[in-house]
Amino acid sequence: MIYWRAVRHFDPWIVLAGLALTSFGAILIYSASLTSYPDGIQGLAHPAVRHLTFAAMGLVVVGALAWLDYRFLGQITPTLYAVAIVLLVGVLVMGTETYGAQRWLNFAGLSIQASEVAKLLVIIVLAKYLADRQTEIGDLRTFLGSLAIVVVPTGLVFLEPDLGTAIIFGAAWLGMVAVAGVRPQHLLAFLATLALSTPFVVVGLMGDYQRERIANFLNPGLDPLGGGFNIIQAAISVGSGGLFGKGLTEGSQTQLDYLQTPTRDYIFSVLGEELGLVGALLLFALFTLLLFRGLRAASLARDPFGRLIATGIVIMIVFQVFINVGVNIRLLPVTGIPLPFISEGGSSILMLFVALGLLESILLRHKQIEF
Amino acid sequence: MNFSGGGQRWRSQKPKRREDAYNPGRKFLFLHILIVLLFAILTIQLVRMQVIEGDDYRAQAENNRLRELQILPARGLIYDRNYNLDQPLVENVAKFSAVIVPADLPAKEEATVFARLEELLGIPAQEIAKQVREKREDGNPYEPLVIKDELSPHLPGVDLQIEARRNYLDGELMSHILGYVGPISAEEYADLKNDGYILNDQLGKTGIELVYEDILRGEPGKKLAEVDASGREQDVLDSLPSEPGQNVVLTIDLELQKKTAEILNQFKGASDTAAAVVMDVRTGEVLSMVSLPTYDNNLFSGTLSQEELDALLNEPGKPLVNHAIAEMYAPGSTFKTINGSAALQEGVANPGTTIVSHGYITVPNQYDPNVVYVFRDWAALGALDFYGGISMSSDVYFYYLAGGKQDEGFQGLGEERLARYARSFGLGEPTGIDLAGESAGLVPDAKWKEQNVGEMWYVGDTYNFGIGQGYLTVTPLQLLDAITAIANGGELLRPHLVKEIRDSHGNVVSASQKEVRRLLPVAQENLAVVREGMRRSVAEGVASSAQVAGLAIAGKTGSAEFGSPRADGTYETHGWFVGFAPYDDPEIAVVVFVDKGSGFINAAPAAGRIFDYYFNQRYVAEQEAS
Repeated sequence: MIYWRAVRHFDPWIVLAGLALTSFGAILIYSASLTSYPDGIQGLAHPAVRHLTFAAMGLVVVGALAWLDYRFLGQITPTLYAVAIVLLVGVLVMGTETYGAQRWLNFAGLSIQASEVAKLLVIIVLAKYLADRQTEIGDLRTFLGSLAIVVVPTGLVFLEPDLGTAIIFGAAWLGMVAVAGVRPQHLLAFLATLALSTPFVVVGLMGDYQRERIANFLNPGLDPLGGGFNIIQAAISVGSGGLFGKGLTEGSQTQLDYLQTPTRDYIFSVLGEELGLVGALLLFALFTLLLFRGLRAASLARDPFGRLIATGIVIMIVFQVFINVGVNIRLLPVTGIPLPFISEGGSSILMLFVALGLLESILLRHKQIEF
Repeated sequence: MNFSGGGQRWRSQKPKRREDAYNPGRKFLFLHILIVLLFAILTIQLVRMQVIEGDDYRAQAENNRLRELQILPARGLIYDRNYNLDQPLVENVAKFSAVIVPADLPAKEEATVFARLEELLGIPAQEIAKQVREKREDGNPYEPLVIKDELSPHLPGVDLQIEARRNYLDGELMSHILGYVGPISAEEYADLKNDGYILNDQLGKTGIELVYEDILRGEPGKKLAEVDASGREQDVLDSLPSEPGQNVVLTIDLELQKKTAEILNQFKGASDTAAAVVMDVRTGEVLSMVSLPTYDNNLFSGTLSQEELDALLNEPGKPLVNHAIAEMYAPGSTFKTINGSAALQEGVANPGTTIVSHGYITVPNQYDPNVVYVFRDWAALGALDFYGGISMSSDVYFYYLAGGKQDEGFQGLGEERLARYARSFGLGEPTGIDLAGESAGLVPDAKWKEQNVGEMWYVGDTYNFGIGQGYLTVTPLQLLDAITAIANGGELLRPHLVKEIRDSHGNVVSASQKEVRRLLPVAQENLAVVREGMRRSVAEGVASSAQVAGLAIAGKTGSAEFGSPRADGTYETHGWFVGFAPYDDPEIAVVVFVDKGSGFINAAPAAGRIFDYYFNQRYVAEQEAS
């Protein structure tokens, strides 16, 4: 429970940056959905309205989580882990397939994107595991244990197949074990093994669709109307936006349907086309503000558990942004990852606000020891 | 711990808040740098794309957005000579086609789309795939590829297109004149793409549709349209309207055409091939032109399968061929009019020249007088003057005029002069009618025979030539044109099928004029003698089956032998009649040709019925109508 004096530790910048990003997203979703909703906002079902509704719900979540002591979560990590695994297995067994991957789980009338929920749960579980082993953090056992925790959910999302989220799991784990203080030799040895096994992964584990995506990334002209289409059209959208963009709702690529899923994975192309480089830099500035405030929370955390949760959240967000934007601007092969706070999608938005709530909870309690 | 770089400065902005004075440690500094670094990478790539290569990408976006499309003009209509606006010979009707725009068809969905099209339209998926591939390879993937002239539901990259189709209202009756339009071929497209034709275009393939293509087609327009990713037009930004094609008014009289076809069908007997042409002797206007068998040119407006086309091509009577202009036949006795004109002009004969036909003449072999060749007449006709020679169609009479009779000291024209006169009557060259596929016919002479047959010219060849047999061949239209010149006093005219061109508002743009190809090298009085001979032929001679009560018709029949002899030594014959009326002041000339028939039994009575209709019944019908 909270001590009221601690409320002054609440960081308004985290919530403000989150809200600013979500509003930014709502504006872009509005423009990107004009082809499907030519009459604009007519009701609550409009994606931009839904996006803001989720943000409003997110605010309640932030309040609730800030009030709740994050350390409570540390006591139920086995349950959280079990929920994550059940969700990921569930989505493989009975998920809804979209764009060639099973990602949605329909549950009691709700459509949940399992990997979005699982990401945060696994970060919490991993944080608890590492926090509890501060004394034996240099042991190989600890290192391998943490690896084991993350390998199972990573493998499950990889099977969906969702390479992007698998990479996010990996990045979060890497950042968290590094901050927790594992032996650098263990990390280096692991990374070397990974690098050496890459060819085998490409040949053995990667599905046809993933190899195809890499081939398309390297030369989208091979299949300009098929797999290469999104890559080429996204690049044209962003590139044609120039410095200041064509103006909101004025982008020909967006408004003439050249982008697939313009409110989701390719929303950055909408931004690039309609708001230009200036709009993109504003977006990056907002993310940087949020992420730096997140790192501040991590460094202020009173215990390793809080510090590691905050670190995991920051890494999760920054890699999602990087991968999503990288795909849009032809730096990375296509992999379906939403742009945090911006892309349409309730599960993603809500879980991001849960993450923000956790950061606030960590901040609110970092000096509690004084009271 | 190491405090340095951006992290520290950022912190140092709020140094007074004690609880914030944290020690981020090297790891957090590294994370700050990592974040900045990742965004820097993204920013560099964005600057490269949006600022440095921005123009290039903008051009690509414009290229995506804008598409220049052709607006095809409405094709001109065709009317008969009476230009009755309610009775065009052809109309444009809408046809709904399923088309694929290869540029809009995602490669990944191709198989699905083709399979679904196969299901819906019954066209094999491989066939569609092949066509799409070819169109892509042609380098013009934006042009719609017609898959079927039918409706189709929503499939990506598949569109419904409304196209104009030609509907020929009189089908078989007018097909040899009007011809038809068809899809542009690859070679035609290569030639014509700079004239505004598109890959999917239609153009005249034969007949008036072909010859007057430039007039009927009109000027295509253009429009600049904004299209969405599926190729659907969103907005027209700029357009240049198309100019509709002009209308063609034919010289053909539809009612006469109907009657001509009806009469020809009635009199062609067992023959499967026949032709008849009616021409205005004063102007060269063709009033009707019928070739049997015929075909329905509407077949070509739909999608004609290869089997259907093969069937048409292989049918015995060659229905796609216009026998009036494209096929060459021996003219038989009808040629005696030309032979006679030449003989009169050259002084070989005069109206009083009398020759006795014993039913044959003989010619001894040049080298061996014991070998004697016999050339027969169709009967022993006795003594005949020039008029009698023509009216009774004596072969012997015209053997004399053509080849002479050496032993009797009668000098004939000889092959050289005969060929020269035949050519001056327009034989051996196309008449220049405004239809495609006209044949030139053949006028033989000694040089020709030597080159093509490899034999010298004998006097017997001249005899055969003189009665329109042997190597001489003509088209029915050529023969008609020659007789027309005799009828009109020596003007060899260019026959034509178009009376005037009118624009889409009905204003006359141009009217065709009488065109005299040349004047016959025959004096008026000699032509008058030939005309009189032809009059007698109908009135009291062998063409009497062409008689019409109350009408003076001049004409000449012919039954030209062809092929190999039958068991009884006789030959199959082409039946001919060619003539004009009224005798005193000729208005029209008629030729009737029946492939396997007789001039007397088939051709002459058919021509008589046509004259009768033109001068008597039609007049009555018109009087009744008004």
